[in-house]
Amino acid sequence: MDGINKILVKIGRSVGGVVGTLYQAGRDSVDTTIRNVIPFMAFISFIIGLILATGVGERIANGISSTADSIIGLLLVSIVCAIPVLSPLLGPGAVIAQIVGTLVGTEIGRGNIPPQLALPALFAINPQVGCDFIPVGLALGEAEPETVEVGVPAVLFSRLITGPLSVVIAYFASFGLYSSN
Amino acid sequence: MTETLAHWAEVFIGVFNQGGQVLLSLMGGILPTLVVLLTAVNALIRLIGPEKIEGLGRAAAQPGIQWYPVRYMVLPFLAVFFLTNPMAYTMGRFLPERFKPAFYDSAVSFVHPILGIFPHANPGELFVYAGIAAGITTLGFGLGDLAVRYLLVGLVVIFIRGIVTETITRIMLARKENA
Repeated sequence: MDGINKILVKIGRSVGGVVGTLYQAGRDSVDTTIRNVIPFMAFISFIIGLILATGVGERIANGISSTADSIIGLLLVSIVCAIPVLSPLLGPGAVIAQIVGTLVGTEIGRGNIPPQLALPALFAINPQVGCDFIPVGLALGEAEPETVEVGVPAVLFSRLITGPLSVVIAYFASFGLYSSN
Repeated sequence: MTETLAHWAEVFIGVFNQGGQVLLSLMGGILPTLVVLLTAVNALIRLIGPEKIEGLGRAAAQPGIQWYPVRYMVLPFLAVFFLTNPMAYTMGRFLPERFKPAFYDSAVSFVHPILGIFPHANPGELFVYAGIAAGITTLGFGLGDLAVRYLLVGLVVIFIRGIVTETITRIMLARKENA
């Protein structure tokens, strides 16, 4: 009797554990969605609405589509985003990257930017990723203050090389992507 | 006069009607999939236990050329997947000081390329990927190809970024010691 009891308790515990984990995971995901994802969707929707419904947005969109519709333009965008003084300012919350990404996406949807450029564009709008967060990120990795002192400029200068380079790599990797044939 | 006003009123409300339609399509399109996927991956991470990758962090700290791909590809990938943004950067604590900036650079550069397939890693910044991906969807293409290529090119880029930043860090540290 004792043996059966033990088995039953064991089964009950592990099933309860799994269900509890799943439930907690669901709670976490709904929480993230409501706190982080939906507010950004609302904000992005407003910007897209503004672009689609007014002529002012049209002009901004024209500027973006005439810059981002070639690999040279995308390289230019990546170099600007990687300038060591600008990159920490463009970084926070990836807000700039998300807005520009949405604008580029809208222009791809309208046929003003060829879809194969989607891949290089993803890298062109983002060489500044995390540049605002270097001291905090290094502190999370328990870095010494001396490492932070060297690490901040090291990462910023590195981006000036690897930012445009990532666009070039992505460009060559985009061959055959959404080509018209 | 009233006609102009009426026209402007229509344009004004038109912006929000249009925005509302976009919001509805986003909430109906991406959101349900995202919630289910987040739940599944979060549960998986809880069941496996994120502390399991700590051993890999220790291995990646070793010198030698064969540990470069581990340090700047495998470790950032697993750290971002299991610990998500921003806790992924805590894996840097297993590395010696001279590798820390490069690891941070590598890990932080991966929080967006992973979004196409595993949006749980950084859902708050989903639109870096989803904004551009929306245009592809509008054209009627599938997103799988773009998502996979974004992830793979991302891995190559963080590897290069790790090596370049490590080199720059080494040069700067040497200069500082000489000064």
